Amino acid sequence: MTETVLETEGLTKYYGSTLAVDHLDLKIPQGCICGFVGRNGAGKTTAIKLMLGLLRPTAGSSRLLGCDSAALTPAIRQRIGYVTEGHRLFRWMSIAELEKFQRSFFPKQWDDKFFADMIEYFNLPKKRKIKNLSNGERAQVSLALALAPNPELLIMDDPTLGLDAAIRRQFLEGMIELIMRQGRTVLFSSHILGDVERVSDRIVVIDKGVLRANCSLEEFRAAVKKVILSFADSTPAEVDIEGLLHCRRSENELELILIGPADEQIGKWADKNGAEKYHIVKMNLEDQFIEYTAPANHRRLFRWEET
Amino acid sequence: MRFLALLRKELRESLPWMLLTAIVFLAIGGFSLREAHLYGMYDWSERYFSSRYISETYGLLYRHSPLQVIGPVLLLTSLGLGLVLGVRHFWIPYFTRTWPFLIHRSVDRTTIFWAKLAAAIITFLISLGAVWAAFYSYSCHPERFTMLPIKRVFIEGWLFIALGLVVYLGTALTGLSTARWYTTRIFGLAFATVIICATIFEWRLGWAFAAIIIGAAILLSQINDTISNREF
Repeated sequence: MTETVLETEGLTKYYGSTLAVDHLDLKIPQGCICGFVGRNGAGKTTAIKLMLGLLRPTAGSSRLLGCDSAALTPAIRQRIGYVTEGHRLFRWMSIAELEKFQRSFFPKQWDDKFFADMIEYFNLPKKRKIKNLSNGERAQVSLALALAPNPELLIMDDPTLGLDAAIRRQFLEGMIELIMRQGRTVLFSSHILGDVERVSDRIVVIDKGVLRANCSLEEFRAAVKKVILSFADSTPAEVDIEGLLHCRRSENELELILIGPADEQIGKWADKNGAEKYHIVKMNLEDQFIEYTAPANHRRLFRWEET
Repeated sequence: MRFLALLRKELRESLPWMLLTAIVFLAIGGFSLREAHLYGMYDWSERYFSSRYISETYGLLYRHSPLQVIGPVLLLTSLGLGLVLGVRHFWIPYFTRTWPFLIHRSVDRTTIFWAKLAAAIITFLISLGAVWAAFYSYSCHPERFTMLPIKRVFIEGWLFIALGLVVYLGTALTGLSTARWYTTRIFGLAFATVIICATIFEWRLGWAFAAIIIGAAILLSQINDTISNREF
């Protein structure tokens, strides 16, 4: 049986009257790489901080490695790696000083060779101060610091934010290093869907604090579909197909965003409603995510996009 | 090992302020001693003879003491150091957003606080305590000065250093509080101010130290509660 390493039940957080996380029920099994995606302000960082016990929930609870997040013991924290948003490290320290500092908290687990290898791989001089590193270099140091103690669970808050494509790739490869160590679990938030697609095997979608999806990446990829139907005359007045998320009309075309239905069902509906032809458009994960989280009354920002 | 790592970090962050305070105190104090050595003591007003408070007693006790000017300098630098260290240890991590990186590690939050406090105490001891002791022992030489400072002057210096630590705790509590400024957030600094007044205007040394100890204990218990429950 696969063990659950991260579990939340009705996790809710209000900032004053603003609802940041709304009854989040989440289970992350051991050994998966979970992409935690959502738009800006969706509640990803708040949810992560709640899970780590850095924030207190307004309601609900969360458990990490079987321990209540509100009372994570030092022993449990030792098993959890955390890469903070923006890679905020002590600016006055050099990489070597930061390594020494971090090592003190993991006396038995710290892997000197792994850390040295990663720093060498990223081509970073150990004597350089954190304040003299670029954003990307700080991200690399941050990742190396989180991975060197060989954590059972690695939680990263938007680790690739602001990094260029090459450094992002290096970063993800560093993450894969950890994944290759048997049974490790990674939860990383991101709004760069390409990154999620490249490394994740599970996806959690959060929108306005509400959990919208928690499934394997394949399931999500297979579930969200865009169908374009052409009609000889006008489009049907009512669209009653199962799993309809959005419906956009033009003169004699209907664009449907669907969740869940099999291709055969779409075909049957098209035939029944007199569509001349239809085709299922292949979408990448980013398009799927945007369509999936778009509000019902979503319209284009610029009118000329619709022409 | 973990505590030592935290302590080293906090000491390193306090180092510039430790050096600056020591240099300022050493420079002003040294200059005053030199002046006293070369030109004799200042003649302070007679009203200090009828003093009821420590602040006034200082005038009396220092009237013939080479340490006469150093007392107020020590008080001011101690309070200043307490404020600056409190800001450095508890406010700056908030602005640089390094609290989550510091808090999420295999130690209790209170251990993190104790490491900060230990670093502050060491900073006070080195930058003010050691220099104050050096001044005292320098001025105790009969070859240099005709009137030697009494022991009470030396003890009162330590009282001023302790007041700096109270300000540090007050700044820490205010820095950690997430309440609004006009509500309980100001409590830390306001309470430290009350303790300063209660100490300075107290003639009896024992009562003055008691006020500091009780005040520090109240602030410590508040800080302990705040850091354990605060959101980062």
